[in-house]
Amino acid sequence: MINPFSLLSGPEDLGRGLIFGLGAAIVIALFLAVPLYLSDFAAYNVSYYLLNIPMALGLCLLWGYCGVLSFGQVAYFGIAGYAYGIIAGNLSGHSWGPILGSLGGLAIAAIVAAVFGYFVFFARVQMWILPILTLVLTLLLETFLGQTAGYQWRVGSVQLGGYNGMTGIPAFQIDDFVFSGYSFFYLAFGLALFCYFACRMLVNSRHGKVMLAIREDAVRTEMLGYDIRMRQLLVFVLAALLAALSGLLYVQWGNYITPSQVGLLSAALPVIWVAVGGREKLLAVVIGTYALNWLNYQLSSSGNQYALVIIGALLVVVMLFFPRGLVVTLAGMVGRASARSEASTDRGHRSSPA
Amino acid sequence: MDVIGVVASIVYQFCTNTAFLLLCALGLIVILGMMNIINLAHGELMMMGAYAASATYSRGAPFWLAAIIAFIAVGIFGTLLEVTIVRRFYGRELGALVVTWGVSLVLSQGFLLLFGPFMPPIQIPEGNIALGQYSFSYYWIAMFVVAALLVAALWWIYNRTDIGLQARATMQNPSMARALGVDTRRIYMMTFTLGAALAGLSGALLAPTTSIMPFMGQQFVASAFITVVVGGATNVIAGAVGSSLLLSLVKTPIGFFLGAFLGTVALLLAALIIIRLIPDGLSAAIQRRLDLRHRMR
Amino acid sequence: MTEAAILSIDRVRKHFGGVVATDNVSLDVAAGDLQCIIGPNGAGKSTLFALVCGMHELDGGRIVFKGKDITWMLPSHRVREGLGLTFQTNRVFGNLSVQQNLEIPLAAIRGERGVEAENRYRVALKRFDLDLKDQTQAANIPHHKRQWLEIAMALAGGPDLLLLDEPTAGMAPEETGNTAAVLRDLNRTGLTILVVEHDMAFVRGVARRVTVMHQGRVFADGTIDEVTARRDVHDIYLGRR
Repeated sequence: MINPFSLLSGPEDLGRGLIFGLGAAIVIALFLAVPLYLSDFAAYNVSYYLLNIPMALGLCLLWGYCGVLSFGQVAYFGIAGYAYGIIAGNLSGHSWGPILGSLGGLAIAAIVAAVFGYFVFFARVQMWILPILTLVLTLLLETFLGQTAGYQWRVGSVQLGGYNGMTGIPAFQIDDFVFSGYSFFYLAFGLALFCYFACRMLVNSRHGKVMLAIREDAVRTEMLGYDIRMRQLLVFVLAALLAALSGLLYVQWGNYITPSQVGLLSAALPVIWVAVGGREKLLAVVIGTYALNWLNYQLSSSGNQYALVIIGALLVVVMLFFPRGLVVTLAGMVGRASARSEASTDRGHRSSPA
Repeated sequence: MDVIGVVASIVYQFCTNTAFLLLCALGLIVILGMMNIINLAHGELMMMGAYAASATYSRGAPFWLAAIIAFIAVGIFGTLLEVTIVRRFYGRELGALVVTWGVSLVLSQGFLLLFGPFMPPIQIPEGNIALGQYSFSYYWIAMFVVAALLVAALWWIYNRTDIGLQARATMQNPSMARALGVDTRRIYMMTFTLGAALAGLSGALLAPTTSIMPFMGQQFVASAFITVVVGGATNVIAGAVGSSLLLSLVKTPIGFFLGAFLGTVALLLAALIIIRLIPDGLSAAIQRRLDLRHRMR
Repeated sequence: MTEAAILSIDRVRKHFGGVVATDNVSLDVAAGDLQCIIGPNGAGKSTLFALVCGMHELDGGRIVFKGKDITWMLPSHRVREGLGLTFQTNRVFGNLSVQQNLEIPLAAIRGERGVEAENRYRVALKRFDLDLKDQTQAANIPHHKRQWLEIAMALAGGPDLLLLDEPTAGMAPEETGNTAAVLRDLNRTGLTILVVEHDMAFVRGVARRVTVMHQGRVFADGTIDEVTARRDVHDIYLGRR
């Protein structure tokens, strides 16, 4: 039977053991206690950092664990957001509109990913082709959405809105309860935590090990009896679902969505978060995503126009000098330092007279 | 005779589309064929070429001179890029993709900050041939001729010069080439420079068709990438030409009847289908055909 | 197709561009046999393996395994049917630990195949000195150990036919001897083994049947003594043909 605890403490992600567990508990407690020290508005901003985490986790699974680089996570982010806007917008009187919209957003993103993925994975193309095609898909999606400004561009009663995007997207309501401020913060935090734990269990499971094998040597893995094309496709669709979840959270956060969410600049961001954090470890990606979104906010809210140049330059620097990612490199240094201190403590014990 | 007009118009559209795809993709394919990496800063290199051309053109230089200056300037920048960053990623294809994307971000944002949102536009050189209700601009005819000349020049360089021979050897088997005394580092550097220079030239040549702004590269890269994916890395010339022709065959009728955007969408769909059928690209299929004919002799 | 042939390669052809790698090769492997394929470099031995595994598509001919035509079957399905393979250049997951390497093959298939398959796997682990909990990175273990690891991984799937491509390449005589002994014992339990090899001492030690390939064709076939007695076999090795 599956033991969730052993899956959570497996070797494929950073950190395990008592100290780590305690640290994690403290961090989670800090987040849960947010109303005590952050204003409603501040919590709302932090929610933005959190809602991007599922999308980043998806890319981490795909790229870091499975070896498949995709520039198209934002495409599914956008598809889900727009789909929710269209479905929930058209059903705005009904109480099950938002639920249908959410399911629809997830479903449409998954279908697009499945079709796209089928063509690419079952063709067994060379490694560099998939990133390019995902990038092209993203570009085309942005171009398409950008030119939907006219009145004729609507689905039912909902306008697509061209470059100005879709506004007035209905909130996810349960009776009179709407997620906003602190309640949205808890929703985003809860979902991010859930996705993280689920992904952590996945990578430590047998499926996770096969993903690693595919990343290391796809042909070899195939010759051990695995249908690698199907597995890659499934991870691709899972990543799309995670990105779609982020998209759904986003439209709850802002009640609007624009084509720029699907643009080239936006498409770069998940890649940067994952590369800078460390693509091979989920926790590194979570930390990296949170930190970089925080950094971006600090830079752009203080009117700094260099925000994107800095972040782009950060990517270049990290790729050149810290290819495993900043958090992963740091974790490695901490790990070695603690191993050395353990060894010297042992030596200390041995050298003292009995 | 309207039929002649329609036919001529379709042929003209076809040639225009082919020229556009070739110009967009040539620089990218040269680099891909040699180093097996996709330079994601390609769009920004084209943008820099357009900027260089705009700067010199608005100071009175004739268009053809502005284009040549763009070729040289962006080529030099390409050398810098290769020496400082790109060469550390040979053999690490995905890493090269990501780092060149970081560079593209820095370039596009940087140019926005340095030069503002717009550069002075370049007018399309005037003049056209009229045939009934259809007009064929000299500009696009010239672009087609230039594209053909570039392909011919590349073919000549790769197949008739010493350096081209060394380049082809390096493409096929770098360690073997090194063992035979080829300075592969220099070949890589020269290839990247050439690829960048071609991107700059294309950017300058295509600048009259659009507004010159920091993100203008975006409109070209979708087409460039699709052309390169369909063409593949096996044979630079065959891939570039074959892919441009085939994709143009798809884009021309769809673009003609359903508009430019759907034309590009059709390209993506065509690319997906083609790679499903020929996963390693058209150039590989063409190479196999050539090898087979060689064997029969 | 011979009776009780577990693998039947029937007039198989493959060319790469201008080069004919496999030229109308027909070969039967009897169930329970231990057969070696020998021949000078470039004879097409590894290509033949690749074709049997499905890594390349045939240009002609068919492959029948356990009575089933597997010519168009996906590689992963062939493994599930009971084919196990090691590669000419050692191909374990170098960046992963020995433990991870051994965890990856489908234990599930081995389970389906019964006790014999499980025993063979356990025997191999023991005789090849492989520890299921070994955290050493596979790239850092000695070369011969890596070769043994790859064989164990192929056995982990509980195959009925094991294809080994130069398993003793780069091994010292003692290790080669151990490998031969283990393969002989595995074969005695009923596992069919087909080996491509260069090391004649090894071939002598294990093979019941030897096939000689040359220039993409089957050149000679028989027991080791029959084949090494032939003058023309010597000639192809000496480059006289």
